[in-house]
Amino acid sequence: MGGKLPTQTYHQIAKGVDFESLRSRLKLKQIEAKKAFSKKYPDVERYLAEKGIDLERLRQHSAKIIGAGALTGTLLLTPPVQKALPPPQEIIDKAKAEKEGGEAEFPQKILIDILNETLPERPRPLTRSEEKYLEQVFENIIGVKARATLEGEHLNTTYGLIGAEQHLKRYPGDTIAGHQPHLKAGIAPGLGAWGYFAPSKDKLTKELEETEKWYAVVQTLYLPDWNTRQPYLRDWYKYRKVLIVNTQNGNAVVAAIADSGPAAWTGKQFGGSPEVMEYLGGPRYKKGPVVLFFVDDPENKVPLGPVDYNTINLPPTALKEI
Amino acid sequence: MSKLFFDNLIVFEEVENKIDSIAKTEEERNELWGIVDSLIRHRALGLIFEKLPKTYHPEFLNMFHQAPHDETLIDYLKEKIGENIEELLRQELGNLAYELLEEFASAKK
Repeated sequence: MGGKLPTQTYHQIAKGVDFESLRSRLKLKQIEAKKAFSKKYPDVERYLAEKGIDLERLRQHSAKIIGAGALTGTLLLTPPVQKALPPPQEIIDKAKAEKEGGEAEFPQKILIDILNETLPERPRPLTRSEEKYLEQVFENIIGVKARATLEGEHLNTTYGLIGAEQHLKRYPGDTIAGHQPHLKAGIAPGLGAWGYFAPSKDKLTKELEETEKWYAVVQTLYLPDWNTRQPYLRDWYKYRKVLIVNTQNGNAVVAAIADSGPAAWTGKQFGGSPEVMEYLGGPRYKKGPVVLFFVDDPENKVPLGPVDYNTINLPPTALKEI
Repeated sequence: MSKLFFDNLIVFEEVENKIDSIAKTEEERNELWGIVDSLIRHRALGLIFEKLPKTYHPEFLNMFHQAPHDETLIDYLKEKIGENIEELLRQELGNLAYELLEEFASAKK
């Protein structure tokens, strides 16, 4: 131990880089790019201006269009093949009936089948009816009451790609050594969007420890109303519990939002702590499609961490001594 | 979701890691993310308008304005440009990633 992993060598390169110096260099590059574009394509700029679009606010424009499309079910991200799905209760009852008939089917298998049937191949924002459908499926199969829209709040997307994040510093002076056993992921040099979890090590409660362990990252920075509804939204999202379901294997985990990101250009929409990612897809899991809903838990009864919904009552005859 | 039709051609993992390593606060990180995003947009759209015959500019702009996330825009561009614009964009954005990494190296104190 002690040596740096190849994936962490960038820490050495980044060490000593002055933020202000880098910022100035990049800003200059940005200004030059903007000037060159305006000079070469004044017609394009004029057209966009007429439509009320600033090239710098293109992502907000995109988010607005996608959001409206999700509401009306007219998204163009993938061919809008809206499958006619049977009511979720029907599927669940059918699965239960099969189980009682002797063909014991694991709830996780049922969930995977439903997700395969319901979700488009490539992640995109779900329509409200798709979300409502999944809410019922999750509640009935996973046993967690989760909602795409909670108290009027909704993320720009609830179906997207999750990427692996590093540990977050929980208090001043926190180091990777305190994050056993997931040391390989490293610890982020900067702080999460809500800063330290505790002002000092002795103020770090068991609950806060769990919050960092099972944390999620969502793109609050791209919410259309993020800047105008402060500080309400910042408080609302802080440590908000979410249910994350790996749509490929059905693994589910309850996590707390503790950071904002990833950048839109990464192609990812969510992030997960090393623990979250390992539970969702195993130790090598770095990126994959998930559905992420808010947990409806006003009494704070749902614990953070893995949701083990796969336990079925096996008949005694099924248990054999090896 | 905030998506532009060429997002899937961006592979900036190293740039992403560097920003994470340098930014100490959420504000610093968001600012660097924003600058990189702006550079990507200008480079990608610059290349598209350079390659796309001028007669198609208004039509493309109209389609882009209506659905900036629609990945079938690439098919439209392929047809009108007659070249593999997907590959050209990949190269252009790859060059940008390289330039950005050089900036990171040069800014080192």
